[in-house]
Order: sequence, then C-alpha cells, then structure tokens
Amino acid sequence: MKNFLAHLTTQRKLGLFALVLGFFAIFAGSPYNRTKITLNAKDLALIAEKNADNVSVQDVANWIIQGKVDFRIIDTRPASEYAAYHIPMAQNIRLSELMDQHFYPTDKLVLYSDTGEDAAQGWFILKGQKYQAVYILKGGLDTWKNQILFPRLPDNPTPDQLASFNKIKEISKFFGGTPQTGTKEEQSQPKVKNLPKLQLPENIPNATPRKRRKEGC
Amino acid sequence: MNAPLFKFGLFGNEVSLIVAFIIGIGFGFFLERAGFGSARKLAAQFYFRDMAVFKVMFTAIITAMLGLFYLSWIGWVDLSQVYLVPTNVWPDLLGGLILGVGFVIGGYCPGTSCVAGATGKVDGYWFILGLVFGIFAFGEAYPWISDFYNSSYMGQITLPQLFNISYGVLVFVVVLIALGGFLLAEKVEKYFAKKDAEAAR
Repeated sequence: MKNFLAHLTTQRKLGLFALVLGFFAIFAGSPYNRTKITLNAKDLALIAEKNADNVSVQDVANWIIQGKVDFRIIDTRPASEYAAYHIPMAQNIRLSELMDQHFYPTDKLVLYSDTGEDAAQGWFILKGQKYQAVYILKGGLDTWKNQILFPRLPDNPTPDQLASFNKIKEISKFFGGTPQTGTKEEQSQPKVKNLPKLQLPENIPNATPRKRRKEGC
Repeated sequence: MNAPLFKFGLFGNEVSLIVAFIIGIGFGFFLERAGFGSARKLAAQFYFRDMAVFKVMFTAIITAMLGLFYLSWIGWVDLSQVYLVPTNVWPDLLGGLILGVGFVIGGYCPGTSCVAGATGKVDGYWFILGLVFGIFAFGEAYPWISDFYNSSYMGQITLPQLFNISYGVLVFVVVLIALGGFLLAEKVEKYFAKKDAEAAR
C-alpha cells in the first residue's frame, strides 16, 4: 500500500483523495439537513431575561409607518386566521414550515401569534438556526388589537394618558383601527366588530414585502 | 462563525466589495498561472492538443464541491444561504452556445480575456472591448428579448432535486466523471501529440 502511494504522482494522489471524499459523501447525508438545531441555553436565557427577545406593538407599528425594510413579520397562526386578519406586511408561516424558510441572516424577524406562545416556540426554532435578530411581538396579536387597532382611553384620563392616547390615535387610524373613546355605550360594543380591511394606506412606501437583493452574476 | 460571511453580517456592502476585489485578483492570478492568459493555450483546448482548460476547470469544480459539501456537513457553511442562479433552460442553452462560439473564435472567455488584458495582450484588450459592447447591446435590446430571457423558468433548481437523488450520490458521481475525464484527457493529449509528431515527419 505504502509502495503503491509512493509511486503515484501528486496529481494522482489528489485524484485518489477526491475519490475517497466523494465516496464517503454518499453516506454523509444531506448538507441541507436543517431539522436538527443546537441551542446555547445560557445565551437564550440571558436574552430572555434582558427582555431582548421581544419588541412592542408600538415599535413594529412605527417601523411599518416609517417604511423600514430591515425586518420581516411572521404570522404563525393557521392560514384561515391569517386570511381573516393579519398585521400588514406579515407573512403566514406555520411553525412546522419555519425550518424550511431561508431568511436573510441579518434581517430582524418578528414572530407573532394570538397570545405569543406559538411565537415563542418559533423564536427557539429560529434562534437555533443561528438567526441573530429574532423577536417575539410582545403580547401577540391580542395586544396589537388592543393597543394599536382599538386603543381605549380610560375614564377620567390624566394629562399623560390623554397625550399618549392622542399619539396612538393617529397610529391606530393609519392601520384602519378605531380608537375607543367617549361613553360607556360605545365601549360596550364588541371591539372586533369590524376588523380593518387589509389594505395599507397608500402613502406607505413598503407595503409589499421587499424583493430580495439581486444576487449572482 | 458561519459562512457565507457576508450573509451572516460579518461585513457590510462596502467591505464586501473589497473582499470581492481580493477574491477576483486571486481568481485572475490562478487563471494566469494555469496559462489561461494566452489565447493559444485556450484555443488548443478546442483542437484537443492541450486539455488544461478542461482539467483546471473540472479540478476547481470538484474541489469547490467537496469543500462546500463537507464544510456544510460539519456546520461551517450554511448552503441554504449560498445564492443559486435560477435556471431558464432555453435562454441558458442559447447563452452558453453564444459564449462557446465566442470562446472558440476569440480564444478567450470573459474571465480569461481580463487576465490576458492584465498581462498586456492586445487581443485581450479587443476582447474586453467586445465584451463591454456585448453588455451594452444586450442592455439596449433587453425590452425585445425579455420574454425569451425569462422563458422556461425552473427556479433555483439543483441536480439532486432534478434527478431526485441524494446530494452525496451526486458528489460521488461528479467526482467519478471528473477523474474519468482527466484520464481520458491525458489519453487524448497523447494521441494528438503522436499524430502531430507523425505528421511533422
């Protein structure tokens, strides 16, 4: 064997090496095997403890209004619920499909579900795939509805409460919501009586998910 | 740290241009060292006198393929983030044919013409001029040819997906094709060298 190798030219040795590597590749499995993830438990715990794992509904609303393009919103609910209403720009991706998605590694990924539990599970899946900036929408779609679409001015508001309500009122109108004010009668109406249509106001610069940057040659 | 480094945000757009420049210089350097700055050497390929182009290119292919396969296998490269050029069957075939005919006529491909130009070959300069003109003509004609350009679209498809085989089997088959090709290329070179020698006598 040693003798055999010694008589080979460098080219033939390299060719043999490639042959061996190629042969073992048959048994190595798919290089795209992404169903197993590794998690750094300590890192994740620290991130969660510092509350760096979530973003508020106000932040996301502002990003959409400002036309930011460095984030993607992911709705993990069933397609039927997604069809009924979703946050503008959100894509519908179920947890089982999350592994197969190829996001841009530097994008901010914001996950939401009704209350946030599914989103939190999705957070682990994406974190395990080494995406850096993964966030849960704090409070989920319920909070989005309560605070963005149908914000409510408490009775006898303090000046501070009034000021912040006036600010959120504009945001709410932008997303087609109805701020809840005034008499108790109005308040007793079911809040989700008419969820806004899914059309974004025309002045938004980034209403459709952005196209991927053109790559390749 | 995972690759592709740019996709994982290790450096931004500006730095990526510098990285691309360095990689480009490296690519050009090795093309030149392989003798590909000379149209004679390249054209000899098409007369089966010198199979260096075939050998160098196929070596590059299997080296990159084995490297990517095993690096992704041990988790250093995320293959899903490596950009794949989408396939449009007929436009790709026609484009390949045009490039091939240009290669035979001019003696260079786009990359090697730049190498030839960089080493001061006048035919390289002419080739680069033609290259730039071709890009310009393509851009101007685009509205008329865009339907064909975008036809027979197959998406970012890979051979394992097309043939429904595993990536490992494909890697092995390509290595076999390459090694078989190398042996055949040497035989062809020897055959034509002998024939030329006989003709010279």
